[in-house]
Amino acid sequence: MTQILEIHQLEKSFGSLKVLEGIDLTVKEGEVVALIGASGSGKSTLLRCINRLEPPSAGRIRFMDAEVTPSNLNWVRKQIGMVFQRFNLFPHLTALENVALAPRKVLGVSAEVALREGRELLDRVQLSEKAQNYPGELSGGQQQRVAIARALAMNPRLLLFDEPTSALDPELVGEVLAVMRNLAREGRTMVVATHEMGFAKEVAHRVLFLDAGRILEQGTPEEIFSNPKEERTRTFLARILER
Amino acid sequence: MRVLRPLVLVLMFVCVFASLNSFCFAQDALDRIRQRGELVIATDATYPPFEFREAEVLKGFDVELGNEIGKELGVKVRWLNLEWAGVLGSLESQKCDLVMAGVTITEERKQKGYLFSRPYFLSGQTVAKRKGDSRIQKAQDILDKRVSVQMQTTGQFAAEKIGVPKDRLAKFDVLQDGLMDVRNNKSDALVADLPALKEILRKNFPELELVGGIIQEENVGIVAWRAEARLVSAVNFALEKIMVDGRYARLHAEWIREPLTTQILGGLDRVGKAGSVVAPARTFEGLEFLTKQKREVAGSSGNVQGGAPTPPTASALSIRWDVIRASLPQLFLGARVTLILTFLTLLFGTPAGLAVALCRISRIRALRWLAVTYIEIVRGTPLLMQIYVIYFVLPALHLDFSPFASGIIALSVNAAAYIAEIFRGGIESIDSGQMEAARSLGMDYFGAMRWVILPQTLRRVLPPLTNEAIALLKDSSLVSVVAVTELMREGKEIATNSGSATTVYLAIAVIYLLLTLPLTYLVSRLENRWQPIRREAKVQKGTKA
Repeated sequence: MTQILEIHQLEKSFGSLKVLEGIDLTVKEGEVVALIGASGSGKSTLLRCINRLEPPSAGRIRFMDAEVTPSNLNWVRKQIGMVFQRFNLFPHLTALENVALAPRKVLGVSAEVALREGRELLDRVQLSEKAQNYPGELSGGQQQRVAIARALAMNPRLLLFDEPTSALDPELVGEVLAVMRNLAREGRTMVVATHEMGFAKEVAHRVLFLDAGRILEQGTPEEIFSNPKEERTRTFLARILER
Repeated sequence: MRVLRPLVLVLMFVCVFASLNSFCFAQDALDRIRQRGELVIATDATYPPFEFREAEVLKGFDVELGNEIGKELGVKVRWLNLEWAGVLGSLESQKCDLVMAGVTITEERKQKGYLFSRPYFLSGQTVAKRKGDSRIQKAQDILDKRVSVQMQTTGQFAAEKIGVPKDRLAKFDVLQDGLMDVRNNKSDALVADLPALKEILRKNFPELELVGGIIQEENVGIVAWRAEARLVSAVNFALEKIMVDGRYARLHAEWIREPLTTQILGGLDRVGKAGSVVAPARTFEGLEFLTKQKREVAGSSGNVQGGAPTPPTASALSIRWDVIRASLPQLFLGARVTLILTFLTLLFGTPAGLAVALCRISRIRALRWLAVTYIEIVRGTPLLMQIYVIYFVLPALHLDFSPFASGIIALSVNAAAYIAEIFRGGIESIDSGQMEAARSLGMDYFGAMRWVILPQTLRRVLPPLTNEAIALLKDSSLVSVVAVTELMREGKEIATNSGSATTVYLAIAVIYLLLTLPLTYLVSRLENRWQPIRREAKVQKGTKA
């Protein structure tokens, strides 16, 4: 498997607050990496540094064969899809228009093609009948599935998920995880920040435990969930599995 | 229905107003003045040597003469200083008892219900031009030039009478603005009363000069509202006394700086000199009226109160439908100009405002600084001043615009600053996740703005933008100071012209309302159409964070 993402000694501070410190991470094509850790441990910031929604304070990020710099930003972002905790759908556009907008405006795909492909994508997230609805008319789970379809529309090489189910009512989490499970099965490369340990255990090839801005421990789901080496990993898992 | 309600209210108000006055103002003006112990005289203090302000004090020939008349009537005089366009109208609305503002006695004004005293000054219209402008040698030379006048003065009428076409006439509220227009090469000549013009040129416009000769001679009189014949008799009596006992000659010598016997003064030259009233040597325009008044005064043998009984002024504030009907075409022309001004200003001001807003939130510090400076300067200074600067000051920098263009530019520059702040507020109210989502899909900053942020902003700023449009529609009346004839100006002219200021101003109010209500309605329609999009906010807030 070819290497798609390589992060070397990444650092990020907001003012005097160090959020990320000495992050090293490599992701291979087709790999699903789960980021777990307490709130504020730096999961979101790490994801946002990868596509430079947050510019890193230090360190290097290589995506495919190129260093990620301000100058090739739009090229990098075309290849990296991102799904947000709060969906961030465009409220003035229908579900279908949300999916078709970026292919049309960024890739220059014709309206006809973009809409046809958009319908196919909505079909894949089981929302073909909601194509003409505005985000305001959809449930949270439906909105997040549209957001995934929107990210897929750019045919990205890498998908970033920033706690995609944290803003959802519990009964809606399942439908979103089901879609993500399918994507993993198709062999999509994914980095997922999540609190869904069941999903991480089942789907991820590798689990990273972040604590205070560092990767404290990483390994296969079995290693992390059954036999964590670090004390802090153990307390975190104990606390989260109690719920 | 909701839209109609304010209109109904206005009409009700008008009706109540109209019916009230029929019994409120039944008293005779002279009695009222005596009761109050105060005579109110309206004037326009931009007219030396007749009336002008110097160091906060009202001065001039008319002012001292008026004060003498007050003495004769045994009351104090209170002066009301108004813009010329409102001076005659203030008689109808009973804001004043008399007008002394170098008003020429004309048949038209008499027919409109203004009552004149006997003439107290002989004046004439003359032409001013830039020194050394050899194209203008005599009055007839101005016919194919651009001519400025003070609106609704006999200067305007004289210019029209000798044949200056309407579209080459620039009408100003203030005479001095008209002279500035000539000085700035925007107009070529100005027509106004000789004594005033002479004095103003001497004081403030050394670069202008008079063209020799007089277009038409005119008698100047004191004005009262119709049916106040007793008051006029009393004024005439006072005037004659002042002329006879030499006070007139003294005031004339002090203010006019010309001997009483100049050509201009024609018929009045012997008045007061010999210490007695001498019949004028030539026929005055107001002669028949003059002799009638004299007879009345003579009949009462000095007892001013014994003048002919006059019917109470019942119609002072009632609605004159005939005036409305007659002036509607002209008002519609004005309304059209107002709409065009508003439309063009929005057309230029909205994109400009958006551009300023984008600079204001830009990451480039210089752009931000420029935008802030622009917004603060525009918001911190009056629109009226901005209009003056663009029309009167910019020509010094060789940026010369027509009145209409100046109006559009001033309004656009002004509106853009306010619209910029509206847009900035709108853009900043959009959740930052929208920009992040757009950028993470590979859109550049401007693409994200164009396709994601601005469409949402536009829906949010529509209500405040409508407010701005309505404010603009009303503020556009200010450009009349640089001789753009929009609705308010058209109305002022008709008001001065028709002698029915109340009626005309109420009609204008209704027209403004008719112009703004559809705007409000249109926007509420648009907002309803965007209902499904607005619901989004509620749903997203409902999900847990």
